[in-house]
Amino acid sequence: MRRIAALMLALSSTVALAATDPRMVPTQLPAAWQAKTRELFKQAIEIPSVHHRGMTPKVAELLADQFRKAGIPDSDIHIMPYEALPGDQTAALIVRWRSPHATKKPMLILGHMDVVEAKREDWKYDPFVFREEGGYFLGRGSSDMKNGDVATTMAAVKLISQGFKPNRDIIFFYSGDEETRGVGATLGSTKWRNLTDAEFGLNADGGGASYDRNFKPLGFGISMAEKTFQTYFFTTRNRGGHSSRPRPDNAIYDLADALEKLRTHRFQPMQNEITRGYYEERARQEGNSPLGQSIRAWLANPKDGAAADAIEANPLEVGLTRTRCVATMLKGGHADNALPQMAQATVNCRIFPGVQPKDVQAELQSVVGPNVEITPDPEYIGVPTPASPPRPDVINAVKAASLRFHGPDMHVFPVMSTGASDGSFFRAQGIPVYDVDGSWGISPDDERAHGLDERTPVRSMYDDVLHWEMIMKALAG
Amino acid sequence: MRYLLAVTALAAIASTAATAAGPQLTPAQRDATHAMFEHIINTPTVIGRHKVPEMAQFVADQFKAGGFPAEDVHVIPYHTGSATTGDDDTAAVIVRWRAPGNPKAKPILLMGHMDVVEAKREDSTTDPFVMTERDGYYYGRGTIDMKDGITAITQSMINLRAAGFKPKRDIVVLFTGDEETNGIGARKGATEWLDMLGHPEFGLNADGGGGGFNPDGSPAGFLMQTAEKTFAGYTFTVRNRGGHSSKPRKDNAIYSLAHALERLEAYRFTPKLNETTRAYFTARQKTEKGPLGDAMRRWLANPNDGEAADIIEASESEVGLTRTRCVPTRLFGGHADNALPQLATAMINCRIFPGEDPNDVKAELEKVAADPTVVVTRNDDYVASLGSPLRADVTGAYTRAVQALHPGVPISPEMSTGASDARPFRVAGIPVYGVNGAWVQVPTDFRAHGKDERIPIQSLYDNVVHWQLMLKDLTGK
Repeated sequence: MRRIAALMLALSSTVALAATDPRMVPTQLPAAWQAKTRELFKQAIEIPSVHHRGMTPKVAELLADQFRKAGIPDSDIHIMPYEALPGDQTAALIVRWRSPHATKKPMLILGHMDVVEAKREDWKYDPFVFREEGGYFLGRGSSDMKNGDVATTMAAVKLISQGFKPNRDIIFFYSGDEETRGVGATLGSTKWRNLTDAEFGLNADGGGASYDRNFKPLGFGISMAEKTFQTYFFTTRNRGGHSSRPRPDNAIYDLADALEKLRTHRFQPMQNEITRGYYEERARQEGNSPLGQSIRAWLANPKDGAAADAIEANPLEVGLTRTRCVATMLKGGHADNALPQMAQATVNCRIFPGVQPKDVQAELQSVVGPNVEITPDPEYIGVPTPASPPRPDVINAVKAASLRFHGPDMHVFPVMSTGASDGSFFRAQGIPVYDVDGSWGISPDDERAHGLDERTPVRSMYDDVLHWEMIMKALAG
Repeated sequence: MRYLLAVTALAAIASTAATAAGPQLTPAQRDATHAMFEHIINTPTVIGRHKVPEMAQFVADQFKAGGFPAEDVHVIPYHTGSATTGDDDTAAVIVRWRAPGNPKAKPILLMGHMDVVEAKREDSTTDPFVMTERDGYYYGRGTIDMKDGITAITQSMINLRAAGFKPKRDIVVLFTGDEETNGIGARKGATEWLDMLGHPEFGLNADGGGGGFNPDGSPAGFLMQTAEKTFAGYTFTVRNRGGHSSKPRKDNAIYSLAHALERLEAYRFTPKLNETTRAYFTARQKTEKGPLGDAMRRWLANPNDGEAADIIEASESEVGLTRTRCVPTRLFGGHADNALPQLATAMINCRIFPGEDPNDVKAELEKVAADPTVVVTRNDDYVASLGSPLRADVTGAYTRAVQALHPGVPISPEMSTGASDARPFRVAGIPVYGVNGAWVQVPTDFRAHGKDERIPIQSLYDNVVHWQLMLKDLTGK
């Protein structure tokens, strides 16, 4: 679940100097490493590691081969098969690059090898045939997140080849079901903890810089907190009857009424250390625009609900000021000619860090009233995760890398993710996680994760190898 | 689809006991009726169980054993099926009792259906497909919907033939095998089998009509079904570009649909009266004291008194009789719990007042939804159902048969809110009258489609006599 650029600002205007198209700037990655990176990326993209296709273990083998060829012993390479969704046989890959004389606790690098479904008929070209076109690499997983898998793996291979010796173990953990159930991350953070235990984690499934269409730098967000994902079912029941004799009591009408109430309900606005850091940066970017004024008012007075509401109503900021819940699925009735005995809505909530899902459930219940049964989805019980404390070493490493590739105008700042990723499972188990991938793109044109014709700039792919090389050297050297 | 009595009390004329001794069957005729009824009740003619052809053969064999020539007794296999009901091989029975010589009048059609609604063993007190006798009742699926009518038509014709009766016009029988599901048999009957049926002048349907007695033995009345509302399905469809559920937007397919459904819940179509419902309410108000009766009297006096019609429609016993009604019966929406819905749909089941065009109802539903994003489409191509004109000969024959068995019982025409096999014949210009003679205790015996369906033992035998009386009356002169 990749979110490039929490920001999609069409920044007010001030296109200062004729900015350079970042896609045209030559990468600093040597040609030989470009070729190796491209070949690995191609092979990874062309394995359709969608759930239930049974192909994810092949990605694990592909990545494992790179580490093995670079000299990591087999005893430190573990392919862990497991079942994700019922019947979906997948696998995780855990690789430990040992330090010859570790002076610090290990560092964990996270990624996932599975991708979201992509249909041939929906895409311009086959999503599982790797393409290079117009300065982009295209294919399902090119931005979410086989680019990160390739960059982290290739950076390690390159460093090993240069004789780099880390001063702490670096553990690579690639899961096989991030897009569906997160069983791999659950196991990785608990049952397989002896293989993964670390001081902190760096997730390649987030972070990254972005530019607007005028090539103005929008920022490099490091996700350090994420909302808790929890789905609830709203169910209404009725004795039913024959549809030729409608009655005032009706399960579908009761549900429609509950959905109307849900639509207008707003949860209490909240701030934490991460979102305050984010909004301080946003206030600077927005200047004196109405949004900028609302942000400043809210930062000055966190109880200013009207300011928070104005921020939340902005399409760029949705979900960042509070818990949000939205209806995503509907079902009901059993025959066209019978009054429904049951109607059900799926309501997906993204809960502000620190808020308990049971309190959200109680609030929803009071909103819709006692005639609607509310139950959490038993398939996925969200665990609230603490925001990871800002670590100066991580932030400084990212700042140095960003400065090298994007210059001083690309600001690095913390963000809270509204999505849920593998990082949440490790945060919940006490390992702070920071999303620091170095991919970048043009916002919003390149934001195609889960969507059609997914792509990543060619230079971004190559830069990302160098980016991870810098991050590993900075934090483990 | 059986609608015994919309009414709960048609009459105050006291105390004709339900068991009053009118004309009776001989002991041998009772035994034959019992044997036939038990055999067909024990044949589970539910869609998907492939048992209708077996029952059809059995019924055909009864006619042949009763002396009807084999060339006039046909079992016609056909296929039924739809996406919602599944498929089955079923069958119809067509029997033609030819009048000697050159009859002047066109044939009379006798109608019924052999299939029944599903009944589960665990939902019933005793096995619904093993006929059980207790408390003065026969229990079993189909006892009142409508294997009683199949038995009565078949046994009455056998009895009349044995007694040497010779009809003065042809009597044709059509028993279909999928009335409860797809109605394909009736559609074929009104089209491709119409030659075999001899283009009847009108039809008498055993799947309508009938009488009721109150628990104290006083008659609730008998009804003759002369009109039925048009069954038509519509779909409300809302499409949206969707998106990620972590970023809810104001435009949301599910919320738009819910809003349209809230509007539909509050909407009422224009009240209407026709010949059948006017006669029905005229009879009904005679015994209805209090506000409901007052409203009927006001409405009959002034058909533009919408408020009076609304009071009638709000009564649980009269719902559906004053106007077109539409109700949502099924809901679908969304494709993933973590994605904003791209599609939300509701199935709207309408029962349209006879004579109104289903296309006009579609236009009216569009106005109700009042939202251009809510697209209204039709699910079928049913055309407007028509009322059958009240005919003196049929009304007279039905009245005389009912009065012979139950002297003094009030009788009224009725409009059915359900759909039956009669519809395609009415649409083809062949009027159909629901004139069955079975009676039950109201309301405890209203168990068609429900649990522990049953018929009073005496009612089964009275119904055979009732059909004998009607057939002699209508074809003996």
